[in-house]
Amino acid sequence: MRREPSREIEGARGVAVRASLRRVAVLARHNALLRRRDPAHFVSYLVMPMVLMLIFKGMLGEATQAVTGLLVMFSVLSMADVANASLTERSWHTWERLRSTRAAVPEILIGKALPVFAVLVVQQAALLVYGVLAVGMRPAGPLWPLALAVVVWCFVLLCAGTAVAGVVRSQGELSTLCNIAALSVSALGGALVPFALMPSWAQAVAPISPGYWATIMLQAAVRGDVAGTAGPAAVLAGLGTAAGAFACWRFARGWGRSSAL
Amino acid sequence: MLIASGLVKRYGAVTALDGFDLRVEPGEIAGLVGHNGAGKTTFFEIAGGLTAPDAGHVHVKGDVGVAPQQLALYPTITVRETLRLFGGLAGLRGPPLAAAVGGTAEELALTDVLDRRVSVLSGGQQRRVQAATALLPGPDVLLLDEPTAGADPGTRAALLAAVRRRADGGATVVYCTHYLPELTELAATIAVARNGRVIARGTGAELLKDLPGEVRVTVEGGEEITVATTDPTATLAALLRDLDRPVRGIDIRQPSLDDLYRELSHAS
Repeated sequence: MRREPSREIEGARGVAVRASLRRVAVLARHNALLRRRDPAHFVSYLVMPMVLMLIFKGMLGEATQAVTGLLVMFSVLSMADVANASLTERSWHTWERLRSTRAAVPEILIGKALPVFAVLVVQQAALLVYGVLAVGMRPAGPLWPLALAVVVWCFVLLCAGTAVAGVVRSQGELSTLCNIAALSVSALGGALVPFALMPSWAQAVAPISPGYWATIMLQAAVRGDVAGTAGPAAVLAGLGTAAGAFACWRFARGWGRSSAL
Repeated sequence: MLIASGLVKRYGAVTALDGFDLRVEPGEIAGLVGHNGAGKTTFFEIAGGLTAPDAGHVHVKGDVGVAPQQLALYPTITVRETLRLFGGLAGLRGPPLAAAVGGTAEELALTDVLDRRVSVLSGGQQRRVQAATALLPGPDVLLLDEPTAGADPGTRAALLAAVRRRADGGATVVYCTHYLPELTELAATIAVARNGRVIARGTGAELLKDLPGEVRVTVEGGEEITVATTDPTATLAALLRDLDRPVRGIDIRQPSLDDLYRELSHAS
């Protein structure tokens, strides 16, 4: 019996897509295993903001500012962890090794990103739940804007962290960059001190900091303000997409023997 | 099958490959030899799909398994997890994957360390794990870049036997090494690379046939007379005929792959 050529092509496409999804699943499982084997940073970026939230709540007298501000600051710090997940692939030379398998670069990147993204979401969600239960933050309205805000912010951290891992030349450089970024992005973004209390020059330059958009997005989401959440979310999604595109381009080129790590 | 035609690759002012040609048939092990900087690793990177040539092309029929020169392993996971990763990426799963992991581990004497983390293994064991990641999926083409570098004799023997078995099973193998006796052991054909090109290609016997060996005759009093020659029998007969002193020892040295390597890779 003769089969229609278009059906054969569709069948071949189906097989290729299933094989691709299986490779992504293999890589995601592998990267989840790597994360499980090294949980130290995950724990520290959970415990430290939890302690500081209680102290900041006492100082500022405002739970939402304390919770969202410290969430933003420590999530930018945890970008080092995100970047490290990709940087180790360079220092272990495993990135090139994976590229020489059947897995395509987008599959490798997705397989790597999924567990890292999941860890970030769990981290942010745990801090928000802690903020409600222990710090006294009171979200108003539906919870989906908060969920959207967390997903968008985690997307930005993931893309920015991976992009940073593509350009730094050592662990020390990464650590320095992330520490400086965490403090400046948080401080300029109104994550540490409420925006209204910042000096006027700082208020003027605040919008250049992703931390500013993250903070106002999260605070709007806590208030249940859908429009106030959507605007900053769009800005951050754009930033994340740009960083993600750069990261994909850089990692697709690989390093060969020229890795400076 | 692997066919590389006219490969050119430049890194800035450095030309790593300059018209590199190589054809390797299924079941053949081609030993790629040459000094550092001859272009061997660049060729592997292109054939392994890691980088694109500036000119020329590579045709590879089937799946490729690569064991790069540098160790490229995840130190925090176990040997079993490593093998499962690369087997899974090659499309194996379930019982066939478990069987391939067990079989390859046994073949390369890794069974006892399957559940140990890679970071705690010796250098030789890590070399074997690296080779196992390339061998496990049973690829049609194997690219092995100095897989025995720094390995102990046991590791080397296990690796060579595994590579020979893959070739006997029909795999196309390109085997890069500085240890030339390994190529004799593998019954490999030889490609000598220099300045980004393959400058000699053939079996060991073909490449050695025009290379001079050595006839050394020790005469009474301890004096040694050494003559380089491509025809040791005739040379020895002529020496013995012309000598007017008693002969105390005769040594005939056939040309070796080392001689070939020196001759070809240093020749200007």
